Amino acid sequence: MPSLQPILDDLSKRFEEQIDEIRAAAPNEIYLHTRMEIIPALCAYFYRKWNGRLAGVFADDAREDDGVFYVYYQFALDRSGGFFIGRIPIADGKPELISLTNAVPAVNWQEREIQDLFGIELIGHPNPRRCALHDDWPQVHPLRKDFDLKTQMAPFIGERHQFRRVEGEGVFQVPVGPVHAGIIEPGHFLFSVAGEPILNLQIRLFYTHKGTEKLFENLPVEHGVTLAESISGDSSFAHATAFCHAVERAAGVEVPQRGRVLRSVCLELERIYNHIADIGAIATDVAFVVANAHAMRLKERVLRVNELLTGNRLLRGMSCLGGIRRDWSAPQILALERMLDELAPEFDSLVALIYGSSSTRERLQTTGFLSPQTALDLGIVGIGGRASGFDHDLRRDYPHDAYDQVKVAVPVYTVGDVFHRMQVRIDEVRESMRLICELVSKLSEGPIRVPIGTIPAGQVALGYVEGWRGEIYHWIRTLPGNRLGRCKIKDPSLQNWPAMSEAVMGNIIPDFPVINKSFNLSYSGTDR
Amino acid sequence: MTSPLLDIALQIAMTLVMAPLMSSIIRNWKAKLQNRRGSPPWQVYLDIAKFLRKDMVISEHASWVFASAPYVVFLTSLVAALMVPMIGVEAPLGMFGGALAFIGLLALGRFFLALGGLDPGSAFGGMGSSREMTLSSVAEPALMLSIFTLAIAAGSTSLSVMVHHAASQDWPLLNSVNLLAFAALFIVLLAETGRVPIDNPATHLELTMIHEAMIIEYSGRYLALLELGASIKQFALMSLVINLFFPHGLAVGEGSSVPLAVGALLVKLLFLAGVIVLVETVNAKLRLFRVPNLLAGAFVLAALALLSTFIFQ
Repeated sequence: MPSLQPILDDLSKRFEEQIDEIRAAAPNEIYLHTRMEIIPALCAYFYRKWNGRLAGVFADDAREDDGVFYVYYQFALDRSGGFFIGRIPIADGKPELISLTNAVPAVNWQEREIQDLFGIELIGHPNPRRCALHDDWPQVHPLRKDFDLKTQMAPFIGERHQFRRVEGEGVFQVPVGPVHAGIIEPGHFLFSVAGEPILNLQIRLFYTHKGTEKLFENLPVEHGVTLAESISGDSSFAHATAFCHAVERAAGVEVPQRGRVLRSVCLELERIYNHIADIGAIATDVAFVVANAHAMRLKERVLRVNELLTGNRLLRGMSCLGGIRRDWSAPQILALERMLDELAPEFDSLVALIYGSSSTRERLQTTGFLSPQTALDLGIVGIGGRASGFDHDLRRDYPHDAYDQVKVAVPVYTVGDVFHRMQVRIDEVRESMRLICELVSKLSEGPIRVPIGTIPAGQVALGYVEGWRGEIYHWIRTLPGNRLGRCKIKDPSLQNWPAMSEAVMGNIIPDFPVINKSFNLSYSGTDR
Repeated sequence: MTSPLLDIALQIAMTLVMAPLMSSIIRNWKAKLQNRRGSPPWQVYLDIAKFLRKDMVISEHASWVFASAPYVVFLTSLVAALMVPMIGVEAPLGMFGGALAFIGLLALGRFFLALGGLDPGSAFGGMGSSREMTLSSVAEPALMLSIFTLAIAAGSTSLSVMVHHAASQDWPLLNSVNLLAFAALFIVLLAETGRVPIDNPATHLELTMIHEAMIIEYSGRYLALLELGASIKQFALMSLVINLFFPHGLAVGEGSSVPLAVGALLVKLLFLAGVIVLVETVNAKLRLFRVPNLLAGAFVLAALALLSTFIFQ
């Protein structure tokens, strides 16, 4: 990993007095305490000079201690392997924030979420309507400290969400959801169509907003792991691990080697079973059900090994602070290796089955095209980003757990259609199987976890994990007594949902389900 | 064959029993090919019995059209099925009309089904109806053209005469006219019965549906009638295709055994169902805008069949 020192030098030269304090919470996590006016320049500086991106914007209510809100801008410098986090104070009273959305569309939803949950008004936002809180909510700001967690809200008052009108001859609206036909979570899609081609798609989410970030506050950190597991059910292990990373950083604890390797293996197992399920689901959506039957069979084998290794098919309960909960015996590891040996050829034949079906490929190719430029503008991460030319992967760029000991190959394509989002998954499954074998060979005897001890109060720390869907961030601020003052969760789905509206443009309505499936975004992870 | 009334009663009974069974068997075999156990073949009777018991939820925007569509669909397919020679060469209702009446009845059912989809004003129903109408405007000419081709060879549009003509040949399919017409009719059969390259009867994704979208607002008794109507239509079309091209085992002439003919029909139906299952399993669904190309292909095949009638006479 290249050193961040040249960037720091250049940064202090360029901004001099404008940055009040530069503080490294961890070698790759630098905090820049500054002011709101500086942020646009800082943003442009990181984007242009260091090929950085704004990976997250979030707020924290620090009025009790410092009398202000803080807003954090998390810049990810993928080429240099460092996170630069700008912190600005927002005065209480009539809090206002200058919006960056016009320059960086990627933060559109996140800024609106700050406005909804903290009551910090956005200045110059192109679409400052409600996002995280629905329109029928009263003017409350749940993430402020003076909002009691147990507050009972009156059911449904005020207005429903007004979708934008799309009009024209022969244009009509097809509302889908919020309750869907399949067993999935709620989300409201309003298509404006002229015949079959889609003119416009409006997405309304946050039906399952559960106030998870608020729940983390004042929760003992050990319980936080369990809560993190339920943020998005298919990314249980990744979310829990990201949370553990944050806590371990705040506590200054190093996870022992064996624990790090086992964590990485679990992350790869999660990636494999989800990718295989998605490949099958994509085939189902074009009615090529045989491929799905095979995919489900393969997924089941992985899940059974998951259960053998961790006691849970979805790897729940395996994460714990300071390492991992259960050690694996030699026979267990042997079973894992045997499963992978058998899985590899079977997976190849599943892929060959899909490749060999010209009618399936015809449906997937050119469908749901997301251009690299759009993906870049919207900051699309994970599978969708890599299929549209964004070469990134936290496992390679900011190695966590045991990924510094292996070389992670990252598949990147620039075509950006459904087929290539599936191709990214196929490549990643193969890479994951290879990685697990390599990681297992690096297993050495030793402890699997260390006690977390007493976490100093007032620490801030960023935990991150490349989950199967994309990058997951957990940012925490600690309180005395191993409790949290704030836990900001960012699931890749929140970042990627707006890509759906772009990818469906010009496609026909019957192709929407397969486009949706090719992204397979989490409702729960978005809504939290 | 004794009295015409007995013939009618026999064919109605056979249709009502075997039509749902055929849909169910196709579903079961598809499951088997996907390595699943599948629901048992008699599940469909239980489903229909359940639908008949259930209350109906009807949109407040629905008019009499919505309520009448299930009956029209059910009755038109049943009457159409009675016009198809299934056991013998004489269809029970053959004297009321031939190929034209058969196609017309199916079209009438489709017309009401599309209206029923539009009537409650739901977006999905309207989408299904518009798709159904778009596709049938291509599928119907192909169906008519291929049947007319056979009618020219037989010298009559009466289905009975056409089947009789087929039965007089040893292997009708060895004739280029019949082969081309069969290919066209098979594609139309897939389209008319909502099978995979065109429609997906097993999907839960409303946005991709055609037939299922039209009946999405129906429940209870109406749904039972529509499901039954759809399977009868499929049964009638399958029987027609079979008896036009594989007339073996038909009860022709004196001394032929009716049970034997029913058995032969069942065996041939199962064989055709097997072919449909295979087609559904190895293919993904076509992109909606490619479906007219496929159906246009069927039309061209039918046109070639017609041409061959005059060239290879």
